[in-house]
Amino acid sequence: MSFQFSGEFIAFFILSVMAICGAVFMINATRVIHMALSLAFTFFSIAGIYLLLEAEFLAVIQILIYTGAVSILMLFGIMLTKHKEEEQPSISSWHSIISFCATGALFGLLIWVIYRSPLVSQAPQKAAATVGQLGGSVFKQYVIPFELTSVLLLVALVGAVILAKREGKK
Amino acid sequence: MEQILLDFDLRVMAPELVIVSAAALLSIIDLLLKESRSRKVIGWFGLAAVVLAGVFVAMAFGHEPYQILADTYRIDSFSLMFKAILLAGTAGVFLFSLASGKEEWKSREGEYYYLLLTALLGAMVMVSSADLITLFVGLELLSLSSYILVGIRKERGEANEAAWKYVVLGGVSSAFILYGMSFAYGLAGSTNLFEISRRFAEGMGGSGHLFIYLSLFLMMVGFGFKVAFVPFHMWAPDVYQGASTPIAAFLAIVSKTAAFAFIIRVLLVAYSPLMSDASWMEVVSWMLMIVAALSMILGNTIALRQTNAKRLMAYSSIAQAGYLVVPFATIGLVPFDLFPSMLFYLVAYLFMTFGAFVVIEFVTKDRGHGGISAFAGLSRRSPWLAAAMTLFLISLAGLPLTAGFFGKFYLITSTLFNNQEWLAAVMILTTIVSYYYYFGIVRQMYFLPPYSDQKVPVPWLATIAILLGVGGTIGLGLFPEPLLTFIGELDWTSVLSIASSGAPQ
Repeated sequence: MSFQFSGEFIAFFILSVMAICGAVFMINATRVIHMALSLAFTFFSIAGIYLLLEAEFLAVIQILIYTGAVSILMLFGIMLTKHKEEEQPSISSWHSIISFCATGALFGLLIWVIYRSPLVSQAPQKAAATVGQLGGSVFKQYVIPFELTSVLLLVALVGAVILAKREGKK
Repeated sequence: MEQILLDFDLRVMAPELVIVSAAALLSIIDLLLKESRSRKVIGWFGLAAVVLAGVFVAMAFGHEPYQILADTYRIDSFSLMFKAILLAGTAGVFLFSLASGKEEWKSREGEYYYLLLTALLGAMVMVSSADLITLFVGLELLSLSSYILVGIRKERGEANEAAWKYVVLGGVSSAFILYGMSFAYGLAGSTNLFEISRRFAEGMGGSGHLFIYLSLFLMMVGFGFKVAFVPFHMWAPDVYQGASTPIAAFLAIVSKTAAFAFIIRVLLVAYSPLMSDASWMEVVSWMLMIVAALSMILGNTIALRQTNAKRLMAYSSIAQAGYLVVPFATIGLVPFDLFPSMLFYLVAYLFMTFGAFVVIEFVTKDRGHGGISAFAGLSRRSPWLAAAMTLFLISLAGLPLTAGFFGKFYLITSTLFNNQEWLAAVMILTTIVSYYYYFGIVRQMYFLPPYSDQKVPVPWLATIAILLGVGGTIGLGLFPEPLLTFIGELDWTSVLSIASSGAPQ
């Protein structure tokens, strides 16, 4: 397999390294706020990858929703709640060895399958999905799951309220 | 011509519409009721909605298969039968919750009831769709509602721990399912299961072959968590123990049934091209058989060491999940042999598990701790309650004259019929092992001295719930024929056929 050093490849390389680094930092960071920032970084890099794939709409949505709304909400949540800096008890080394092996096996399996069977991809049809078509299919073909998603959001909201509400008077 | 929602006959969606409008209405009633008022009325209203939806489902039997908007919603014998089981289970859970009183949920009783309804809605959508997107949204609706219901008793440490474990592992399993689905979608370019099946049939033998197996594998890992098969069962005991008993019953019955329906639908429809392939028997069937055997062996042996009644039920339900996986593992040979044995077992499982959970709730509540020793001398304190519990345990153990016996009997014969003698042997051996812990409770009830002489207080609603469980367990044990013929006469091939979407008759 040969790589062509086009601008696209370099951009993809940088973006994917950024995304992976963000994810690794998120897991290794000790402070919650650092975790949230690294996660935002990962979301942002993924938006860049979407852009490379010519899914502009998705890229914009990714930045708006994930990098913007979700990350900001998380930061607010972190800042408005009290945090005790706690030393986490270190996980036993056996535990981490076993989880490393399990994840390694899964990763190996995925990579093995992906490299064993190269997909012959046709040239993608460009500009096939406009925002209008997207909206059309959401509100026509997928209207039932769409409505269900609104129930899902309601459930999430109710759940967040009842689990977080402080019950004062007794 | 492109169709929109209103082109279809929406009457077929009546059960779902009843449930969703009841949930919406109840949330408003909850808001308007004075804070000091009891929320029991909400529970009764919810129960009425579940029963009404059940009536609609019963009326829909015999209807032609029908689909709405490219199979994002479909009814056929499969979805109706599963929906009936789900509704029956949820109605039982409502009755159980109304009986076990409000001190469990404090001021969150109203929310408790309508979250049960939304969880049921998610489960119902999961069984009546042949589109990956709807299936996934239904699954998430069920899971999210269940996470909240597990954690709703937030004053208790164990409930918090259970909710945490459930959220984290549930999230991981959803991620696996979604990852698997994304491979399926990437290969087929469609989320419709029939379309995926068509594209898979074309793609078999090509370079995408391994990807099909990969997507199946990832989805099965995710489902393994949801159903609690053995390598992915670790959450179940903690969650069952931490959740309130009605919710543990809900997870053991409704969640599990919905997840099973989901796997069957996806396997039978989308992955049907694999079944004609030799590698199905070599890879997938073996994988499932090993998972089933492991679930039976580990579930039953770990249950031997449990002293907490709900943990014991959790391990027993892991073992039962193992029995239920068996028909699937042998599916490739005689596809439609699967349904009668499996559905009979599910119905039997519903009655006996439900009954056992109700008895456990009131006995352990009376004693103040959840240990098995709470059952000591129950036969002298409340002989009828002890007799009912014995019946449920005998049925769970699979002894004759109970529903559980016929359930296991049909599963074992269908396994032998498929020439998997070793698997049948594992089933029989683990069943014998399970006698030990089921009869451990019986021994407590009949041969040990009671800790007090008073009767265990059981509210009348709980009595009704227990009687329903007893009726179902004995009824199916003595007269399994009507249900079996009913299931046998349903048109199971409709699962695989493209449903009509024309004007209704």
